[in-house]
Amino acid sequence: MEETIIPKTSTVFATLFRADMATLISNRRSAIISLFVPLIVLFTWKGLIKHVGGPTVLATAIAIGLIAIGLMGYTLSVARDRDKGIFQRLRVAPVPTWVIMTSRICVQLVMIAVLTLVVFIVGYQYDGVLLAPLGYVITFFIAILGATVYLSLGQLIVGLIKGFETINAVTRITYIALMMVGMFSTFFENQQLKEVVRFSPYGCVKMMLAASMEPSKAWAHDANIAVLCSLGYIVVFAGIGIKNFQWSSK
Amino acid sequence: MAVEQDKYILKVEGLHVNYGNVVAVNNVGFDVLQGEIFGLLGPNGAGKTSTLSAIEGLIKFKEGTIIVNGQSVSEKPLHARASMGVQLQSTSFQPELNVVQILQLFSGIYGVPMSKDKIKDTLKDIGLEDASAKKFSQLSGGQQQRVSLVIATIHNPRLVLLDEPTTGLDPQARRQLWGRIEAIRERGHAVLLTTHSMEEAESVCDRIAIIDHGRVIAVDTPQALIDKHRDDPEVIAVSRRGKITLEDVFIGLTGSAVRA
Ligand SMILES: Nc1ncnc2c1ncn2[C@@H]1O[C@H](COP(=O)(O)OP(=O)(O)OP(=O)(O)O)[C@@H](O)[C@H]1O
Ligand SMILES: [Mg+2]
Repeated sequence: MEETIIPKTSTVFATLFRADMATLISNRRSAIISLFVPLIVLFTWKGLIKHVGGPTVLATAIAIGLIAIGLMGYTLSVARDRDKGIFQRLRVAPVPTWVIMTSRICVQLVMIAVLTLVVFIVGYQYDGVLLAPLGYVITFFIAILGATVYLSLGQLIVGLIKGFETINAVTRITYIALMMVGMFSTFFENQQLKEVVRFSPYGCVKMMLAASMEPSKAWAHDANIAVLCSLGYIVVFAGIGIKNFQWSSK
Repeated sequence: MAVEQDKYILKVEGLHVNYGNVVAVNNVGFDVLQGEIFGLLGPNGAGKTSTLSAIEGLIKFKEGTIIVNGQSVSEKPLHARASMGVQLQSTSFQPELNVVQILQLFSGIYGVPMSKDKIKDTLKDIGLEDASAKKFSQLSGGQQQRVSLVIATIHNPRLVLLDEPTTGLDPQARRQLWGRIEAIRERGHAVLLTTHSMEEAESVCDRIAIIDHGRVIAVDTPQALIDKHRDDPEVIAVSRRGKITLEDVFIGLTGSAVRA
């Protein structure tokens, strides 16, 4: 009898990742959306820098971009591929399911890297915001942590909702709502509302990012709380989202 | 491995599949032997796709055992899946990928990476050499069908599962597909297919199982089924022009009511 070939996990992952990257590249629209609003923030908020500080502006831009990556990039592509039966076709191959999802998430990591890089470069070139080298490094890692909050939120949505159209609507509304909060919460007057926003998934991510840009100066108690809250959001959202996830929308 | 086990490539025993309260498959059992084309026939909603999904590992089944190429589907899912090739009833590939990228993806995840030349030859073989740069979504239904059959056999699997492979094909394409299915048999491998075409079942299947309401109600060669049931009053009642066909036997056994 012939040997059955069980392909190596690393080969499978590399192959899937290549295909997922090709999909991302030919689907430029969602990638552009992820960069669009952050760039608007960088261009329009230049005058605010002297009031709120450069790090806050960059942090807002990245935080909003991360929402788009988690919700538009990840959630919508997973919902669509599930709806089209693409996951079922992959699952009948000798591929562990976690590899399929890990590849999807790694593609989003690439997007996160692109986003932070673009914000750093435009932030420096256009807004004249220069961070200490350590600030760039820490911000990059915090951006990944922040993105995980939104990827988990996206996982929660695809875990709890089956139909693509419903997910599409919910995702877009959530994105716009979070984006609005992101754009305008800096100007909120009401103290209670400000507190709610501060510890919302949006506020925590922004707080962590702003602090990480000036690690020696701004990283304080609040930033630690924000990290803890973010981890809490990730555990709860991803936990529920993964547990309830179904591979077929039928 | 014992000779006894070598004879069948797929063994399904006492299979039960439920969707909530809906019983889709109720105590189904059959074997598919080496070098055999086995047809699963049944009205809409009979449980054909559900049976295949259980074999493919797409759904957890409540009870029963499924052995593929000597490996239990529930205990060694990756091994079992590595020895089967699958064409789903409604399959789709990433619409952004072109045909070459799809072949690269699936040859890679089945552990049989294809060179550029190999891909070219494969596409030529299915008459799609000019379509290599096309996205999957830009192919016609029949062309998509051909790509998905190539992917089902890309790793030369011992067992090939095809869910309604010829639905929607023109007569030429259908004949060609039959040829490809028979070539799999020639290699000593096995094919399990579902179909609503009695002509297809008679022309290509060595044995068929008729399944209805989740139960197997008959298993035999198409001719033996006709011979065995030609005197059944239900079969004679639905026959036309005095000649008993496989379709008459099928309708005689499963009733003439259209399924919901
Ligand atoms: N995901 C699902 N959830 C609930 N019920 C389902 C699901 N999939 C199938 N069913 C039900 O299970 C039964 C068997 O369906 P199945 O798809 O196996 O039939 P089939 O024999 O393949 O039919 P067809 O010839 O129409 O393809 C049907 O009653 C169907 O409504
Ligand atoms: Mg079916």
